[in-house]
Amino acid sequence: MAETATHTDHAADHGHHSSTGLSNNKLAMWLFLGSECLLFGGLISTYMLYRGRVQDGPHPSQIYDIPFTSVSSFVLLMSSLTMVLAVTSAQRNDDNRTNLWLTITALLGATFIGGQVYEFTTFYREGLGFTTSLFSSSFYSLTGFHGVHVSIGVIMLLSTMGIIKRNKITGNKSEVVELVGLYWHFVDIVWIVIFTLIYLIPS
Amino acid sequence: MAIIERPSSEVTTPAVVAPSQALGAIRRPVASKGWREWLFTVDHKKIGIMYGVVAMVFFIVGGVEALLIRLQLALPDGRILSADQYNQMFTMHATTMIFLFAMPMAGAFANYFLPLQIGARDVAFPRLNALSLWLLVIGGIVLNASWFLGGAADGGWFMYAPNSGPVFSPSNGVDFWVLGLQIAGIASLIGSINLIVTVLNMRAPGMTLMKMPVFTWMILVVQFLLVFSLPVITVALVLLMFQRSYGATFFDVSQGADPLLWQHLFWIFGHPEVYVLILPGFGIISEVLPTFSRKPLFGYPFVVFSGASIGLVGFGVWAHHMFAAGLGPVSVAVFSISTMAIAIPTGVKIFNWLLTMWGGKIWYTTAMKFAIGLVVLFTIGGLSGVTHSVAPSDTQQTDTYYIVAHFHYVLFGGMVFGLFSGFYYWWPKVFGKLLNEKLGSWNFWFMVIGMNLTFGPMHILGLQGQPRRMYVWTEARAGEGLFNFGFWNMVSSIGSFVLSIGILFFLINVVITARNGKQAPADPWDARTLEWLATSPPKEHNFDRIPVVHHLDEFFHRKYEEDANTHTMRQIATGEDLIRAEEAAADSDIHLPGPSYWPLVLAIGVGVLGLGVVYGTPVMVFGAAVVLLASFGWVLEPSVPEAIDYASPDGDGHSKEIATHG
Amino acid sequence: MDTVNNVKSPRRRISTTLAGVTGLLFLAGCATNAPQDTWQAKGPNAQKISDLQWIVFPIAGVVGVLVLALAGYIMFKYRDTGQPIPTQGHGKPTAEIILTIVPALILTVVGVFTFRAIFDLAKTEDTEMIINVTGQQWWWEYDYPVQTELGINTPIISSGQLVMPVGTKVLLRETSRDVIHSYWIPALNGKKDAVPGRIHLLRLEADKPGIFAGQCTEFCGLSHANMRMEAVALSKEDFAKWVAGQQKAYTSPADGTLAKEGETVFLNQCVRCHQVNGLKKADGTPALAAPDENVYSGAAPNLSHLMSRNTFAGAMFDLLRKNCRSDVWDATSEEFGAKYLAGVSESCLNQTDLRAWLRNAPAMKPMYADPTKLTKTGGKYRGMPNLGLTEDDIDKLVAYLLTLK
Repeated sequence: MAETATHTDHAADHGHHSSTGLSNNKLAMWLFLGSECLLFGGLISTYMLYRGRVQDGPHPSQIYDIPFTSVSSFVLLMSSLTMVLAVTSAQRNDDNRTNLWLTITALLGATFIGGQVYEFTTFYREGLGFTTSLFSSSFYSLTGFHGVHVSIGVIMLLSTMGIIKRNKITGNKSEVVELVGLYWHFVDIVWIVIFTLIYLIPS
Repeated sequence: MAIIERPSSEVTTPAVVAPSQALGAIRRPVASKGWREWLFTVDHKKIGIMYGVVAMVFFIVGGVEALLIRLQLALPDGRILSADQYNQMFTMHATTMIFLFAMPMAGAFANYFLPLQIGARDVAFPRLNALSLWLLVIGGIVLNASWFLGGAADGGWFMYAPNSGPVFSPSNGVDFWVLGLQIAGIASLIGSINLIVTVLNMRAPGMTLMKMPVFTWMILVVQFLLVFSLPVITVALVLLMFQRSYGATFFDVSQGADPLLWQHLFWIFGHPEVYVLILPGFGIISEVLPTFSRKPLFGYPFVVFSGASIGLVGFGVWAHHMFAAGLGPVSVAVFSISTMAIAIPTGVKIFNWLLTMWGGKIWYTTAMKFAIGLVVLFTIGGLSGVTHSVAPSDTQQTDTYYIVAHFHYVLFGGMVFGLFSGFYYWWPKVFGKLLNEKLGSWNFWFMVIGMNLTFGPMHILGLQGQPRRMYVWTEARAGEGLFNFGFWNMVSSIGSFVLSIGILFFLINVVITARNGKQAPADPWDARTLEWLATSPPKEHNFDRIPVVHHLDEFFHRKYEEDANTHTMRQIATGEDLIRAEEAAADSDIHLPGPSYWPLVLAIGVGVLGLGVVYGTPVMVFGAAVVLLASFGWVLEPSVPEAIDYASPDGDGHSKEIATHG
Repeated sequence: MDTVNNVKSPRRRISTTLAGVTGLLFLAGCATNAPQDTWQAKGPNAQKISDLQWIVFPIAGVVGVLVLALAGYIMFKYRDTGQPIPTQGHGKPTAEIILTIVPALILTVVGVFTFRAIFDLAKTEDTEMIINVTGQQWWWEYDYPVQTELGINTPIISSGQLVMPVGTKVLLRETSRDVIHSYWIPALNGKKDAVPGRIHLLRLEADKPGIFAGQCTEFCGLSHANMRMEAVALSKEDFAKWVAGQQKAYTSPADGTLAKEGETVFLNQCVRCHQVNGLKKADGTPALAAPDENVYSGAAPNLSHLMSRNTFAGAMFDLLRKNCRSDVWDATSEEFGAKYLAGVSESCLNQTDLRAWLRNAPAMKPMYADPTKLTKTGGKYRGMPNLGLTEDDIDKLVAYLLTLK
């Protein structure tokens, strides 16, 4: 992932033609995200099929803490806003602000992950292990996969920042930030879908 | 990124780190000779060749597995293999042929020729290209390592749950299978994104989508199929891995799971996969047939759109693999009809190929023979496919040898013949030498006769009720007379050896050609597409100058002109002339992406990470560390080496420009 | 430019061979004596499929022959005989449209017939009899629920051979106890998977008395190849006799016979998994099998009235010797019922296979029966283990089993 994101496109930079007008990196990122849609699609379908199949342990309705998850969802949503600000700053070539917004975005992402860790440990203590039931396995797989995506996003944000700071970027800086942004927004949107389907729609 | 024009002096590149400093101690590899040249290369042509070699090795492995299967089934109650070995054998035969031969071999052609056909100097992401290759190699090793580590996967390539669960398949075979396929899947995904971007973004000026060679078009369709189907199988594989290695119960019926979940996920991937396998073959012969008929492809837009619609409809037919699986009649009817619908664009292709030859001036080279072989054999396979789309009839045929016959006509007759056509057609382009046509003829005839002897009788066996995946068949069910199992199983087994001799002829041909093959002229086939505008073998930067495209079949139209009065074609230049003209007008300032360690290191890291699933957390942590290290190394390494690190790719010829720049 | 020798063989041979292969496919319909032939329907459901095949296969064949003939003609006609390079025409849209519409029309016709057949074959409201069929590694269990109008007053549990009355619309309710299997009697209908956790329905009906072969067609592990089935159709009167026979009370062998000693061996060894209805332990309490404690699928074949069946071990082996078997299989439909109902007599018993099976079952049929390799199943077998019986025990057991009529 990180490789693609920060891959540079000299061809587009230096006026070599690009038939679509999109840079190679951006096109690749869009394709990757398109592919990811089906990955999450498969996991969400699995969850929807299995959410009611509980032989042991708690049912979804007994365990979800909607207010808590709403707050952490809001945090993640806000991080999309700060990401937008980071991209705008990068486009204005304002390294300091770019770094500031990237930091905030990463912090918000980390907060979301912290919330997820807290949620998972609470669930675990209430008797919902990974292997407890089909519901629990599919729940942890889906949200876990999403959590891993957010974590990778945070690592990407921090790495991008580090690279900008040390002036080691190997390509068009604002495009790198934009690519990380695309990924980040995607992960947010997926969460909105997951949150709606898992937490808000009663099984 | 790719190959670029060197930024001219007024463009400064201040933010580029000196590559020798990337990640401190490790110095970037510079263009070198010997094995390093291959191991660290990012050149799409070298990578393409390596794809080909890897695929060919696995073709032989899968072929030996097939021969063992046929030996076992030659006589009733075969004793060559035990039930357990037989189950591993047919599982790995299919897995190897599909994931480690067919897809990589198509990848070899795509990698090598796609940039050449669109007038580009490399793919969009050369290092990712190398990563795809190495991940594939690692995936293949993981898959096959299981033979030596307690037994290979034994659940069939379709790996239906719950038979794939830890209880029913207690060896580690399925674990290796799951890991190997996930790694190979990542390889394909990266590769497909890379190729799509290459096609969409890096076409030579003037090459609109509808002027693209059909091979490129078909590869493009295939890559879209992969991008949207691979994640689905990945989900299935991940669920299975969680079940086998971490105690989840996704397919454990006693916990309330539904075994059909696996089948849906698998076939949503699995059916597009069928087109992933066949479309490259279609693409290859859509180049070969026009070349040797001396006519453009008949109905180019129809061939292109039928390819695209096969791809699209291919996502809506998966449940025709499940007609006996207990879906309701409504779903069965819908999938039955959609499957019939997909026959229409397929038929369009066959007619267009035939009409391409109609009125032509057909030159029967080995490449052409294989191409015609594809048309004929695929027609048979396609028609037996139509009989399956009739769902009630399919409930008699599915899981019998009739299906085995069908898909071998489609895949062996279709895809493999396409690939062999491609070998003979493009060999001079890649290696500068012509494969021996005489041996080629032997190669073809043994293959075509062997293939029909092997798979033709399977139609009969299937209709006589011999199910597939049985390690033995019994005299008690064999019947009597002309159509008994005994005779036709024997014919089929003999056929498989005839077929193998055909393939042996190819390997001999390769060796002989390499030793003392005839030097190929620049344009041996009077070809039509842009790859022939490069020298044979092509220079590392492909084109001395980026061609400007005006026509479909640009290369042909540079050679020939229509006489305004007589409407006959008149030659105005030879291929050699055109290539010389390009050399004379070569671009200066060509810079190539530098070789890199990171794709190989990263791929090995992913492999170790995967093995951690079987061998425990410490292994996994180590793998993850390597992956992380390699990722950072990768990101910090500029794609194009600093001038001081740059060495000339091909000695002279361009050393002048390179010297000017450092 | 012509650097490669022009290879001029017009290659019609290829198309003629291939047309020949296609032709043979149709002849396959005329095969004799192939027990699993998909073209010899012996009941209305299979007949429906066969009718459909007689539409689709000829169409496919004719289209195939036409296309291949066209290919052959083109290959010959337009070979390079020194003609000039043709004009570079790019195709004719009208030809394309015609070539799209014609196949579409043909497929529409096929589609209409297909549609009708799919829904006909999915009907269940006309069912006259129900049999529950359960697959497990590597045999099928047949469970006849109480159906008083057919004389079934207590449930009948059998295996090895499905027995059904002719001219009766039988509905199989299929499921599985472990992995997916598929039930297929080609002469009576297409196949339908038996999936654990689900019940799938399959219509069967036989026109005439007879015995029809089948084979599990969903890969189900080691002995998939040995998981066979046989469906037996009896006239309604004969079926009533069979039902009565299956409901007959158990009679213990007379004291002092070899069979009586065999009963004791059975009680010591076999009854752990295999039920024989009515069998009592020495203390007079009923002997109840507990296969769920020993076998992973939780079931083992019920051996009551074993000798009324012609097969054992998941229909892998015949209980009848070869000549006795052919006597039943080749019987005319008038004689068939009586011959089948005669069961297995001592002179007809296939002693060789039965004894070998009792001596060491895993050597006869690949199964997961090695006690050291059963960690993943918690020590439970998949299939029958080697019981380490002495030859003496085997003699006794065979004598006993022969009494289970």
